This record gives sequence, C-alpha cells and structure tokens, in this order.
Amino acid sequence: MSPELEGTPAPVGTTVPESRLDPTASRAMAEYLFDRGWSDGLPVLPATQEVVEEFLLHTDRDPDEILAGLPQLDRHATVRDIALHAAMAGCRPEYLPVVLTAWEALSHERAARGGGWQSTSGPAPLVIVNGPIRHRLGVNSTGGVFGPGFRANMTIPRALGLTVRNGFGVVPQQLEQATQGIPGRWFHCVGEDEESSPWAPHSAETGVPAGQDAVSVVLTRTSEFIDNRSFRSAGELLEDIADTLQRRGPWIFRSSSAVLVLNPAHARALDDEGLSKQDVRQWLVEQAGHTEADLAAVGKALSDRPFGPFDPDHFHPAVTDATPASLPIVVAGSSNAAISMVVRVFSTWSGQSFPVH
Amino acid sequence: MTAGILDPTISSISRRGRPGEPAATTQAVAAPQVDSLRDKRVGLLENTKRNAAALLDAVGTVLAETDHVDLVRMTKPEFAMPLAADVVERIIRDCDVVVIGIGDCGSCSAAAVADGIALEQRGVPVAVLCTEAFEVTSRAMAALQGRPDFPVLLMPHPIANLTDGDLTERGQTLASRVRGHFLSPAA
Repeated sequence: MSPELEGTPAPVGTTVPESRLDPTASRAMAEYLFDRGWSDGLPVLPATQEVVEEFLLHTDRDPDEILAGLPQLDRHATVRDIALHAAMAGCRPEYLPVVLTAWEALSHERAARGGGWQSTSGPAPLVIVNGPIRHRLGVNSTGGVFGPGFRANMTIPRALGLTVRNGFGVVPQQLEQATQGIPGRWFHCVGEDEESSPWAPHSAETGVPAGQDAVSVVLTRTSEFIDNRSFRSAGELLEDIADTLQRRGPWIFRSSSAVLVLNPAHARALDDEGLSKQDVRQWLVEQAGHTEADLAAVGKALSDRPFGPFDPDHFHPAVTDATPASLPIVVAGSSNAAISMVVRVFSTWSGQSFPVH
Repeated sequence: MTAGILDPTISSISRRGRPGEPAATTQAVAAPQVDSLRDKRVGLLENTKRNAAALLDAVGTVLAETDHVDLVRMTKPEFAMPLAADVVERIIRDCDVVVIGIGDCGSCSAAAVADGIALEQRGVPVAVLCTEAFEVTSRAMAALQGRPDFPVLLMPHPIANLTDGDLTERGQTLASRVRGHFLSPAA
C-alpha cells in the first residue's frame, strides 16, 4: 500500500453478520434498481431514509439547502437529495462532504449551470481533492490515479452522474445528447500527491490555503497522455507537453484549455532545473498554439468569428493565459514511469477551489 | 421489501413526477390565430449558434418579400438557458409572431422548445426550428413542459457548415414551412 493510503479506514461491512448476507436477495435488489431505470449501467445500491440520515451526519450543511440545479429544466437538488445519490453510487457516508463540495464547485461553473450535461460533448467532471482528507477517505493520488481500483475515486464522481441522471432527469439519448460521450465520464476524481510535489498544491493557487481540505471540479472532455522517459532537459519535456496541448482536434473556441496532470517525476525534473509551476505555465502558454493558417488548414480558422479577422501568420495560443484557471497544473500518479496527462477542458474553468464541508 | 427505498428522481423539495413519465399535460394556451403574415412584425430570435442568425435572416428576407412583414432581429446570448424575463417582455411588446432557432445541439434544441412553449403561453405564436438530429431531445423537453404535442419544425442537420448559397436555399424552403405553420389552424 502506498504511504498515501495509510490510515485509510478498513472497509466496514453491513450491520448484518456475514453468515446472514444473502447473495440471491442482493442480485434481485440490483436487478430491481436497474429495472426502475435508476442506474448508470452499473449496479447501484438502494437508499433508504435511514441511510440518507447516516450520510447527513457527516456534513454541517442544512439538509434542505439547494446545492445544484438546472433552471432550464426546473430541477434542483438539495443536500439531502445529493446524499441519496451518493448512497446509491456506493459512496461511504464520510465521502458526502466531498460530493457536496463538488456540487458547490460545479454550481459556480457557467457550463454546468447551462447546457453542459445535455451537450453533444458529454463533458466529464474532473474532481480534484487536496488536503488531509485524501488520507482520511483513501482518495488515491499516486499509482493508477485515474483508476480504477479506489472506492472514493470511483464513487464520488459517480454520485455527480447519478444526480444528473436521476435528480435532473438528464438521461442519455433523451435530454442528454452526448455524441460519443467520454470514456469513464462519471469516474474522474484525483487526489493531488502534495507530498511528492515540489510545488505548492493546486488548491493553494485557486483559493484554499495549503493543508486545508479542498475540492475543485473542472468540466473536461477526454485525456491524452505524454509518455516521455527519455528527455534530457526541461526544454525537451516542455516541448513534448506543448505538442500535445496544442492539438487542433479539441480546439473549438478561441483557445483550447486543459488541465495538466504531471506525474511527480516530471514535476521534479522541471523543478530541478529551477522552474516553478508558474514558469512551466508561462512557457507552455507562450509556446503552445497554432497560426491562423494552421487552423485554416483543418477548417478551423478563427477569422470569421466576432473577434477576428487574423493574418495567416497570426499566432493563436492554445491556452488563453498563464493563470491557474486557464491551465491548472496538478501533480499526481506514480513516479514509476515518466507519464503525464493532458485533460481537455470543456469550455472554460472558473479557477476556484472550495473548502470541504 | 422495497417499500423503504427512496425514489432518486423525486427531490425532497418537489413532488413532481419522474422524468420520462408523461408530465401532467397542460392545456395548450391558444395563441391568437394568425390569418395572414402581411404587415406583421416577425421576430427572428437567434441563439448565437453558428449560422443561426444567417439562416433566420434568410427566412426573414423571403418573408419580407412575399408577405411584406417587418423583421425584428433579436439575440439570445445564452443558448442553453431560459429566456431572460426582459427579453420575453420585449418580444411580447415588439413582435406579433416569433421564429426561434437554431436548435442544433443538445442543450440549445431543448432550450428553444422551452422558450417556444413559454412564449406561446404568453400568447405569442412561435415557430421553433431544430435539426432532425435533436428531435428526441426536443420532444423530451416538450413532454417535460407538459406539451408533448408541441410542434417543432425539423430540418436536416448540420447547419454550422452551410455556405451562403446553402443558407439562401434553406431560407426559401423554410420560409414557406414557417408561413404554413403560422397560418395553419393548429399554430
């Protein structure tokens, strides 16, 4: 077990003695819940009033506070509703504050309040967890950080998806119109490996002091890895990252933002050459991008947009500016290979982390 | 033993029905009958989607020639959201009928239908334009609003990459469908 997960509470069973657990009844219950149309395609757990009350013991929020909603559908979710969705998703009761704070964060995102959940792009909320709560809940931030294998990382974002499906009624091929969707859409949750990072945590750059429990959520599309174990200088590594960052495929607006999830080896290599996180950001914003002619070559010229026109050799940066909102950088993953990830952002991110409660 | 299981589609704050089940069907508020478009003020409510303004303009240009309508061009800046109250008031004040579009994505098609139903309930005849690719989500929104029979004018998808020539051609076809829609007894 990684040091990260020491102190993780041992899995608690049900209150029923093992000898009385009933596999037949469990299967029948799972099938019943599928038949009701309440599942995202994987088995869900039944939620009762007692279960919801047990979850609510872990938050100081008013159970009747409305924390999420889609005004255009006149659908809203209270703290109590979200506890129900978290229970069905397979969360442990103590995960609830992270799920609630994730919804608080999403409610600050214009794209999530608007048409994001109904969109053809089918965006995935990437939940980023900072602070000691990672250890208390067993939120993985090291090997295999994008999953699977860790209950908190899988069930916390799944609770968001079940809120969208059941709470808002945004069901695939009906009000949800994802063209192809995103692999693992409701399973994107990473802890930041603050202990292995040479830099200040992501949360400290986005509004919550280091050492405090924080959650931020970025609506993302899909991810592309950078596997570079052979670079000999920070410059080579940054060139490689920039090459991935500036892909024209995901470029649909004036720029094309991303979350950079650096594994600790890459982060340390950059730090060893004296680069701060902001230096890395600055370098990538300056170097990654395409000319108007490059974009025109794939039918994505920006000249006919309201902010145009542009000369053919005008350089469009891939990322709008060198801020943590436009290019969040998170350190996570194992150091066993120099592999990092570019996670494409859907629209724009507001750049805020929120204290967990 | 399923009696204690909570239904996740019912919020603790609302007692409305589950999505997917037929919503309580509301009586269609009869928007005033349109006998002729001649000299009417026709609102063109574009939603900022690529080519939406151009296509509505093409429709409007034809109607201006054939029916001598006055065009009122308006923009809905947030295509996924309900119409702002002041925009609704402006439409009621300035337009006799409204053409809404283009619903060519998941959220904007549903929102266009919701806007159409809201305006119709305020007595404004509407023509909502969506692409065929979003028929299901348009219908789902209509049902959610209690108007499963709400008419949506469907056209081939996509719109975003149509050329100026295509748009003019589309405008011709659509204008006669829009006229027919407004003049039919059901509109």
